[in-house]
Amino acid sequence: MALTSVEMEEMENIFALLVLGSFVGLPAPPTFLAVELLPFMERELKVLSRRAEDAGDMLAEMCGTLGID
Amino acid sequence: MKILFFTGKGGVGKSTIAAASAWQISGRARVLIQSLDPAHNLGDIFGVNLGNGKQKVSETLVLQEVDLQKLARDYLERETRVLGETYRYLQVLNLDNYFSILKYSPGIEEYALLTSIERTINEETDFDYIIFDTPPTGLTLRFLALPSVTITWIDRLILIREKILEKRYTIQKIRRPLKEGEVPREELLKYDSGEDAILRRLRCLRDNYNRLNGLLQGPECTVVLVFNPDMLSLRESQRLVEGLRELRLPLRLLVDNKVTDKNLGMAARVEKILESTAPGIPVERVPLSEGLYEGTEATLYRITKDMGSRF
Repeated sequence: MALTSVEMEEMENIFALLVLGSFVGLPAPPTFLAVELLPFMERELKVLSRRAEDAGDMLAEMCGTLGID
Repeated sequence: MKILFFTGKGGVGKSTIAAASAWQISGRARVLIQSLDPAHNLGDIFGVNLGNGKQKVSETLVLQEVDLQKLARDYLERETRVLGETYRYLQVLNLDNYFSILKYSPGIEEYALLTSIERTINEETDFDYIIFDTPPTGLTLRFLALPSVTITWIDRLILIREKILEKRYTIQKIRRPLKEGEVPREELLKYDSGEDAILRRLRCLRDNYNRLNGLLQGPECTVVLVFNPDMLSLRESQRLVEGLRELRLPLRLLVDNKVTDKNLGMAARVEKILESTAPGIPVERVPLSEGLYEGTEATLYRITKDMGSRF
């Protein structure tokens, strides 16, 4: 289940990246699409920023996935 | 209800031809003519002073000029409000400042335009004809392309979203049910596709755009291309014809405007080339009017050609 959770979070992360990619220089969808969806994306934004913060620490990431405290 | 778009390079006489057609059609049907061009001159043509409102020229003809910048501003304000309500805790940050930057982002103007057209089509059901006088080629092509481009994006995003919800469903089903009064240790995520706000919004947007696209590509819609007998106008018109074909928008009439005795030869050549670019589309030739007319009785530059009967 931990793996599924990670997978889900990763997909949420990708979703947020796709919609809001223009903020980090990715090719983005029409701006207004991002504006339309932005109000509902609180969780995705949180995941996005957390993933960005954790990206440097793969070991901790793996420990988290395997449930090692 | 029929929808007409008058397109062409800047200065070829889109507004004039649109106004003349509107005037002619208004003899037999109810017509709304709306200018989307930031450089409005519909009011000048009919000799009336338009605010941002509508004005009746005759019993069957109504004029309207749309302020694009105001549209974009209104749209952003609406979104900012929703955003402010959802992200209350972010209000301490400088959100307003952020959105004032968004105003300059590419796409907002086209989107405001498209929204305006959509609203006009949906709301103005009292009219038999709605005539749009469009802004210059570049912007026109971009906003006409918007529905297709957006649908592609929305489709992909919906796919990803559905996958996410599937995963959430799996996770929820593995967890044991909550006991009465128990507070979940982590956030419970909605997995039902009807409850997910993002998926709902995406589907709603997709329906909207599919409908709009169907309308624009359908039998009720007509695109008229206005050009002049000169090289620049020919080249731009060719690009426009190709752009319209790619978007599968129904170009149904070419208007060769400002033809005089002197440029008759050029006019014939330009028409021939355009006819080969857009085979099967009829061409109307409109002579240049030399006189300067003023006031409401200008009878629209004395355009005698009855273009109205084409639609």
